[in-house]
This record gives sequence, C-alpha cells and structure tokens, in this order.
Amino acid sequence: MSTEETNLGSSQAELPPTGDGEPLLSIRDLKVHFNLARRQKGVVKAVDGVTLDIYPGETVGLVGESGCGKSSLGRAILRLNEPSSGQVLYRNRDLAHLSKREMRKHRRHLQIIFQDPYASLNPRMTVGQIVGEPLDTFRIARGREAEQRVQELLETVGLSKRFLKRYPHEFSGGQRQRIGIARALAVDPEFIVADEPISALDVSIQAQIMNLLEQLQREKNLTYLFIAHDLRAIRHVSDRVAVMYLGKLVEVSEAKTIYADPLMPYTRALISAVPVPDPEVEATRHRIVLQGDVPSPINPPSGCRFHTRCPYVIEACKQVVPPLIEVKPNHFAACLRISPEQPDIEKVAPGDAPGLGVARASMESPITQ
Amino acid sequence: MNSTNGNLLEVKELRVYFDTDDGEVKAVDGVSFQLKRGGTLGIVGESGSGKSVTNLSIIRLIPEPPGRIVSGKIIFNGTDILQLQEAEVRKIRGCSIAMIFQDPMTSLNPFMKISRQLMEITQLHLGHTKQQAYDHAIRMLETVGIPEARARADSYPHEFSGGMRQRVMIAMALSCEPELLIADEPTTALDVTIQAQILELIKTLKQATGTSVILITHDLGVVAGMTDHLIVMYAGKVFEQAPTRELFARPGNPYTRGLLRSVPDPTDERGELYQIPGLPPDVAHLPPGCPFAPRCERAEEICRREYPPFVELIPEHYSLCHFAREVYEDSKREAEVGV
Repeated sequence: MSTEETNLGSSQAELPPTGDGEPLLSIRDLKVHFNLARRQKGVVKAVDGVTLDIYPGETVGLVGESGCGKSSLGRAILRLNEPSSGQVLYRNRDLAHLSKREMRKHRRHLQIIFQDPYASLNPRMTVGQIVGEPLDTFRIARGREAEQRVQELLETVGLSKRFLKRYPHEFSGGQRQRIGIARALAVDPEFIVADEPISALDVSIQAQIMNLLEQLQREKNLTYLFIAHDLRAIRHVSDRVAVMYLGKLVEVSEAKTIYADPLMPYTRALISAVPVPDPEVEATRHRIVLQGDVPSPINPPSGCRFHTRCPYVIEACKQVVPPLIEVKPNHFAACLRISPEQPDIEKVAPGDAPGLGVARASMESPITQ
Repeated sequence: MNSTNGNLLEVKELRVYFDTDDGEVKAVDGVSFQLKRGGTLGIVGESGSGKSVTNLSIIRLIPEPPGRIVSGKIIFNGTDILQLQEAEVRKIRGCSIAMIFQDPMTSLNPFMKISRQLMEITQLHLGHTKQQAYDHAIRMLETVGIPEARARADSYPHEFSGGMRQRVMIAMALSCEPELLIADEPTTALDVTIQAQILELIKTLKQATGTSVILITHDLGVVAGMTDHLIVMYAGKVFEQAPTRELFARPGNPYTRGLLRSVPDPTDERGELYQIPGLPPDVAHLPPGCPFAPRCERAEEICRREYPPFVELIPEHYSLCHFAREVYEDSKREAEVGV
C-alpha cells in the first residue's frame, strides 16, 4: 500500500479518516460508463469519478435516487460491471485491473446481496443447493462437511434446517432475502455490498433483516456498503453516509450528522422530502419540494449536476464541477457556494462561490473529484 | 343526495373471498369504516392485509371469479354500490369515484396519446365535444403541473418520466371532479423527491376541490402528514381505527405499536431496531383465535383460542384485541412520559 500512499498523499486530506488505520477498500476516481446501442451515439456516465474509502467493520450507506449510479458503483467494486477507469484498492491489489480469473479468487472475500429476492435465487435449485454452491465453487467444503456448513448457515440467518430441500418459491420475500444472505456468508467474506436489501420487503420484515445484518456484522466483523434509497433505513444502519447524484458523490459524512445537518442543497432537499411517521412533526415542518425530475445521465447537466433543480444556483454552478471538500470536520460536500467559513447555504451572500478557487486548484492536482 | 350523518362513504361488514388452489382466502373479512365528506382516510397494512381488495370492492373491480363479494354494504352518497347494476356502477367509476394506482405505466394505455386518454373520460362522463374535451385535458395537465402542457399533451406515456406519468394519472382521476379519490400506493414506485412533489400536489388539489381521499399505503410516514383518520389492516381485518394523531400518539393495538416501533427514527442513535417476530400471515390458513397472536408479544392463552373483540377505547378509537384497554393504557402512559 506504501506506493499508493505516496501517490495519493495529496488527496489524503480529502478522504474521511474514520476508524483506525488503513481502509479496507479504497475507491479512487472510479468511472463506469456504458455505451448506448449503436444507433444512439452517446455514453451513460453511471458512475463518473467516485473516490471513497471504506474502513474495516464499518457500514457505509450509499443513497441516491433511481439512476444516480449507486448500484452501478456497488457492482463495479465487485467487477459485476466493468469499471471504465479508476481503481478499487483492496489488500494491496487493484481489483479494477485484475484479470477475470484473479478477480474470481478475490470474490470470495467480497460478496453481494441483491434487492430482489425473487429474481436472485435460481428457482430450480433447492435452498441447500443455493447456499452450498459457493462452498463447491471455491472448494471450501464438500460432502458431509458442506451439508453441515449449509445447516449452520441457515441457522445463522434464522432459517430452520428443515428448509434444506425446499425451493425458493415456497418462501416469503423476507425468508428469500435470508437465503440470499446465507449464500453471501457461505464463503466467509470480509466485505458485503448490500444492494437495496430491504426495499422489496414489508415494513415489519425490513426491521428483521436490518437487525440480522447488524448482528452478523458484530459477530463476523463484516464491512458493508449498504445501498438504499430509503433514508430512514440508511440512517439506522450506517456509520457513515455517502449521497450520490447523477454519478457523483455530493456529500459524505457521519450518518447522524448528515441527517441533523445536511450541507449540500440536494442532500437538504432529499432529507426534507422523507415523510416522518409523526403527525405532529409533519404538521409543522417545512418541506423543500424540488422542481423537476432527475436529469438523464446520458447528457448530464454541465458544471454541478444538480444545478438544474437547485434553488441556490448561480452562473458559476453551470460551468464548474464542484469538488468534494471538507466543509466541516469529517463532513464533505460538493457545492461551490459553501465553504468551511460559511457552511450554511441559507446564509451565503448572494453570488458568493468560495468553492471556485478550490475547484480550480483541484483541477491541476492529479486526483480530482 | 347527501346522507344525513355527513358521511360520503360507509363500508359495512364487507367480506370479499377468493377461491384459490389453497382453499378459500378471506382477503377482506368483516371490514367497516366511514369516510366523512372532505376527509382523508389512510389505510395502512402490509402485503396481503386486504387494503387494496377493500378499495377495489368500492369501485366493484374485484375479478369474479375467483373473487366474490360475500356480504356487506358499500354506501356511497346514500346508495349501496353493491346493489347497483354494472351499467350504473360504470357511471360512478372514473367519475364520482376515481382511482390512482401504484404503477402509472401499467395503468396508462401505451398506444394512446396522453391527450386522448384524458379526453375519453370527459367525453364519456360529461358529454364533452372533442374540442371541449381537448381544452379540458390541457387545463387538467396544467393543474397537475405538467410543464408546457399544450406541447406535451400529444406525447405518449413512455415519453414521460415516472413522476410525470403519476401526474397524468392524477389529472385523469380528477377530470370529472370526483367526490372520492382512491389513491392506492400512489408514490411507492417513485423517488423521494418526486414523492414529495406528488404528495404536495394531492394535498393542494384536495384543498382546492374539496375531494374526499382514501390513501392506501404501507408507509407510515406518508399517512402521518396526509390523513386525518387512519385504519390499520392485518389479515383482512381492521385491527385499529382512530384519528391519525390519536393513533400515532396512543396506539391501542399490539400490531400497530409494533409497526410504529419498527420504523427507524432518524433522531435515534444506532442500535437494535424493534422487530415484530415471525412472518406476515398466510391468509388461507389463519389460526382460530386472533390472526396476529402467533407474532404478538402480549398474546395469552385466550388470544390463540378466541377471536378478539373490536373495542371502543374512546369515541372514534377502536382496537381489535383482547387486551385493547391494557395496551391503550400502556401507550397513554408512555406518551405522557415521552412529553
């Protein structure tokens, strides 16, 4: 890691240093671009330069609206989507540039849980086969030993071993999600991407799955990237939260700070849009209602990608891409108009854009946001 | 036409059963509620609770077979909808009772221009000429906040985003100035910022037109800000019914209490979240006593044996539970300590 460290020295200050020591995963300027079909010229910039460190044992929540690139980012870490450029550093290796065969070995340590427990389990395989398959693939266990291990895994996720011979369609959504979790755990991973693991579930079952994931994290010292659009869930499970908008991270901070004190105008609107299950609060609070839809990632707006919907937009926002800067300690936001001196967008003087200087400077440095 | 007690809609002892391979499913089993003129009623429940079937019954859209409205009354404006001929129901449906569904893409015709889909309604129900209907369609699209309505009216549904399509659905629903709007999970398929837009829109239009609204959702946050009365459904039954604020502050049913506690509170520190144990009920095979008993933390012998009573705790607040009063007292105590 030492060579990278010297190379990235200049950007270290930019990266939220929580937890002890080295990050488990370091994502550097990662891009995932998809070519459109031949007739339509163009590229979808699903992920467009994301830099993020994930520390051992923590849960990073990744939020954003549909099409913001959060799933593409999660999948690119595991190479389920091929990154177009950038690095994913894990155990001194850059996952983004490994050969397919080498990557497969690493996947043992990096697993994923999918959103749709209906679509991600093979309907023709029994639960025992589904959970046991990775044991065989990675030559971890076979025969009697594998059976034993599968039973333990089912118990770990709260399913009875009576279910071994049953098929996915015999289970409810929550139970299927447990099967998906057992499959991910089979190979003893260090890191799990949980891609909207609770979105398809009923409210009472969501709580069960969130608790299960947290319990497993404690027992097995897992590290999660928890992707969701539900801010209440994200706030509950995460240590830190990263907010994504049209392929870029726009705010990163501790989970409780981002809720109590969102800085970037998009994050502020996003959090204020979440309905609170309390009629007294709902009756009095002020809600920021954004105008318009999320623009298409095919031709994203120039400059700050949020400028088309931002109530605080000025001319500079349309031209300059705001870098993610540390506005408050451990609290990073990408907005030209706020600064450590004046972090409150409401109080920024008209026309002020203190971030412009930082943006220009960072364009000259090797690591840009 | 007004019924004497100020209620626009009264549902009495509604039972809707479905014949399935798994036997008879009592999707809705003895549901009663009222909706005051101008009121907003929220219906909350998890999948399979019967909330959507209840509302499909109101506009008589239950597929028969396999479904069957077994008994009950649905009194709308003084007439029992269940006694009407199909032709008479058609005059009400889409006109004085309108509905918006969760998925606007599947409820719009992909082959028809937006304008034509809107025109159809008023031509049919209000006898508009083509020109009148077209002008009305544009006006409705403007009302629901479609930018450049005139230019975009001749687009097809796929040319609109999810939020815009839901706006079109609302425009269609409100075309004939309905007395009752039923919104079944209207924002579930939408992003949060778009959800906020649509909820604001429904609120504003409701204030402007005085339409009564039934809002069906699984999201307790959505009903908290939108409704004045609430019904909580579980396994085809009404488990609790109360004014919204009362229900959130002093729930009188263990299921409601569990639901409210299992939603993460953004101001809370991270920690274990309360969880209702077990799985949602299998409506085809309900236990003999209280359907929630297998998951209920306060269940006793009697709950597994006998069907619970629907207890009136205070006027307008009802709970289906053997221990409704005790649960209510617990909630009251907690609410006082909390304040």
